[in-house]
Amino acid sequence: MIAALGRILILGSLLAAAAGALLGFASARTRSFDGLRWARRMAYVYAALIMGAALLMEYALLTHDFSVAYVAQVGSRSVPVWVTIVSLWSSLEGSLLFWGFVLGAYIAIAVWFTRGLYAEYQPAAIGVWLSCATFFSFLLAGPANPFGTVVNPPLDGPGPNPLLQNHALMAVHPPFLYLGYVGMTIPFGFACAALMKGKLGHDILKPLRESLLLPWVFQSMAIMLGGWWAYEVLGWGGYWAWDPVENASLLPWLTATAALHSLMVVERRGILKGWTVTLIQATFLLVILGTFMTRSGVFNSVHSFTQSAIGPTLLVFLAAALLFTVALLSFRIDRLESEGRIEGVATREAMFVINNLVFVLLTFTVLIGTVFPLIVEAVSGKQMSVGRPYFDSMVVPAGVALLFILGIGPALPWGRSTREQMRKALLPPLIGAALLVAIGLLAGVRNAWTLVTLAFGGYAAWVTIVQIGRGHILRGRRRFASYIVHAAVIVVLIAVAVSSSMRETTELHFTSGQTQRASGYDVKFLGVFQQQEAHRSSLIGRFSVSRDGKEVTLLEPRMNQYEMMREPIGTPDVYTTARGDFYMSLSNIDPATQTASITVYSSPLIVWIWIAVIVMALGALFGLRPKKVVAVRDAKAAVPVGSAPEPA
Amino acid sequence: MNRTVLTIGVIITAIIVGLLFLGLGKNPNEIRSPLIGRPAPSFALREAGTGRTVDVAQFRGKPVVINFWATWCGPCWEEHPVLVAGARRHPEVQFVGVVFQDTEDKILGFLEQRGVSYPTVVDDRGKTAIAYGVAGVPETFFLDANGAIVAKYSGPLNAADLEQELRKGVR
Amino acid sequence: MMIAAVLLFMLQMKVPDAASFVGQPKGAPVVGAELDRRTHEVGSLVRCPVCQGMSVADSPSEMAVNMKGQVRELLARGYTEEQILEYFELSYGQFVLLRPKFEGVTAAIWLLPIVALIAGVAITFVMLKRLGRKPVAEPKSKPVSEPASDPYLARVRELAGGKS
Repeated sequence: MIAALGRILILGSLLAAAAGALLGFASARTRSFDGLRWARRMAYVYAALIMGAALLMEYALLTHDFSVAYVAQVGSRSVPVWVTIVSLWSSLEGSLLFWGFVLGAYIAIAVWFTRGLYAEYQPAAIGVWLSCATFFSFLLAGPANPFGTVVNPPLDGPGPNPLLQNHALMAVHPPFLYLGYVGMTIPFGFACAALMKGKLGHDILKPLRESLLLPWVFQSMAIMLGGWWAYEVLGWGGYWAWDPVENASLLPWLTATAALHSLMVVERRGILKGWTVTLIQATFLLVILGTFMTRSGVFNSVHSFTQSAIGPTLLVFLAAALLFTVALLSFRIDRLESEGRIEGVATREAMFVINNLVFVLLTFTVLIGTVFPLIVEAVSGKQMSVGRPYFDSMVVPAGVALLFILGIGPALPWGRSTREQMRKALLPPLIGAALLVAIGLLAGVRNAWTLVTLAFGGYAAWVTIVQIGRGHILRGRRRFASYIVHAAVIVVLIAVAVSSSMRETTELHFTSGQTQRASGYDVKFLGVFQQQEAHRSSLIGRFSVSRDGKEVTLLEPRMNQYEMMREPIGTPDVYTTARGDFYMSLSNIDPATQTASITVYSSPLIVWIWIAVIVMALGALFGLRPKKVVAVRDAKAAVPVGSAPEPA
Repeated sequence: MNRTVLTIGVIITAIIVGLLFLGLGKNPNEIRSPLIGRPAPSFALREAGTGRTVDVAQFRGKPVVINFWATWCGPCWEEHPVLVAGARRHPEVQFVGVVFQDTEDKILGFLEQRGVSYPTVVDDRGKTAIAYGVAGVPETFFLDANGAIVAKYSGPLNAADLEQELRKGVR
Repeated sequence: MMIAAVLLFMLQMKVPDAASFVGQPKGAPVVGAELDRRTHEVGSLVRCPVCQGMSVADSPSEMAVNMKGQVRELLARGYTEEQILEYFELSYGQFVLLRPKFEGVTAAIWLLPIVALIAGVAITFVMLKRLGRKPVAEPKSKPVSEPASDPYLARVRELAGGKS
């Protein structure tokens, strides 16, 4: 019964989305107010139906209704409740349902907040949003139907993939991911609407910026959470492996960040409009590419869902979206008029352009590296890999370049400046650079790239702190928020550089009761313990970790044997301090002889990566105060629609 | 209309869609062997149960089938009887099984249940598997009478494929 | 006794040796902490064929551990990094190298970013110059105001603030 109801909801959402999309485009063409009104209603109906379907599935999972195909696939009576909730997105069909849920929510919110505003752009934007919604509902109705009926429902199910049950971060990383990526549909709609309208006026800048920034915050958090999860769960002491699907999540973030910056140039000078629109559309297309890569089975990845039939369908959608975008850009980009100019290279505007250059080059490099094995195989039939060593050597210089611009960009004033002004802006931060390098050298840093990172980071930190110190919160939330974000980015880049180059790896073999030394800590092996749970049995190695004679923590890395899997999965254990992490991973454990082999990774400053990204996200949210109140008031006062207040 | 944008856009679209389309037809987990046509790495390993040394070089002059497997591998369980029967049917071909990442008792237990008609040896720390470029089990290598690898199969062999390959090899 | 028996067996055993693939070691044997470090370094360049993309230095799977052991043994015997990588490449193919070789088709992956960098800098330079010129149209620094006579927009405005 639930299965049938679910199907109806999904089919309903498909109809509502399709109808709404058609109405949206039609009323954009004919400027029909009634058309627009009905398009908006269809948007709300779509949202209600698809969100209802997702909630219904959650209900089916929680009540262990194995007559529903998806529940039979991933449900289980023997897993904790949070795992059941989370299994909604643990497998392909459910994850698409979750995609629909998030998309429905975003579209409803976007339609609500734009009511009465941006009338020139709204119909086309709704058309674009609901076209995407139609596609995803189509997937759920057809190739990826989670609401199939199981004729003889089993009494219990296998549960989601054990790797996904290992850690609580599993509950958090995917929702953030979807909130970030699905959300990029909204600015895509606005950008397309602007192109279709043939203009990118001042009025549309605010919704563009805000609808881009909110998902960006989620994206940033999602990427960080993914890295943190990998670090805590996978046991190799790292957080980024340049896995194809990881790269897929990074690419839209890079173009979105570039777009956010070039949008500021559009605001200030009225130029780079076409470029900004292109970046926003590229962001959405990269999201679709990313979801294709995850679900199609074309790429060899830790993240891949099992190969399924939806690969070709997604490819068709990607191709269609690409062609649509290219056509739209070709025919309309020249209509977006430039209004201003850039006065020279030593200006902040020019620094934004260079910022974009670096981000685009990064995007290109990561994209090329990810698809290159496919290219080689297509051209020569040979199979080859592009792995971490390659990406690290390409991305490190780019990251350093970004840090450089983070320093001199905000230091330079807008517009042309005199020699004297430039000197006053650009010279003092060198003190910051020297300071940080000195601290690094004292702390033992010898790696060349890390020292360069510290120099540029110190420079940028000086610039940022000075700007924050000038009381900019009074001059406007947005600027203050951007300095917080920049400060956080500086911390991330420095922490990444230092934690990688200063990492110490030690391999140790223990017999019971033995104590050995690693990275300044004394580690005593207390023995092997066993734990039996409903879905897994574990061998735990208990280690007492001491420093200077005092015990600081008990670490218990483990080997988990899940019922469903042949090879056991190890879980590391980490002792985290502000100074660095002491990370322990089991390579071997034998309860019979009470011996264990571990690998210890000691990395300084790692925790600051996670903390800084959270600060970055909060900072960005701070600058996102809804200015709707002001806009609606103005609209009511019959002031021309769309007069956005000056960016504060 | 902006020609530059159109051209660049179409080229990028064509490349990306084309590549991904080609990629759809392939299995990224299937790795092709570079050893085909080259002499097979020689090895002499201990036979499970008897303890005597089996040297693959001693089989020069006959075609050889080397099958890498392990007791924990489900498809190997399915495949084993096919190989046992094949070995009996083709006495002119030497079959050898190589097990790695396993224990002797389990191997002997497996053989008792699934049948024996050719020697099974135990690899030393996976070195032989590495030399043969084995990525998973089961994998089967076909050698001609001169000791060169002529074919590699990943995954369980069925009787038809085995026959076909053997017929090719008996030249 | 057991150990002697095992050793005796092992002496008779022969596994395929790297020498048959890449010849004699060209470098000096490595020992101690240096050996650990180098094993990790070279292991990071070899892909574990059964894991999705991880190196044998990082992966916990048995296959990777065996391969890493091979790397360690070859380093201890004095094989150079090139020889070790070549050895794995001969059995597994280029697939097993995480750092693409700079030869043939694969050289492109190293060259393309450089080309993109040069092209990007050139384009940026040209663009900055072009953006330095005065705009053709009148700069619209004021917010856009549509003609008040547009009935469609008037109606939207009328219903602003709550009704959909």
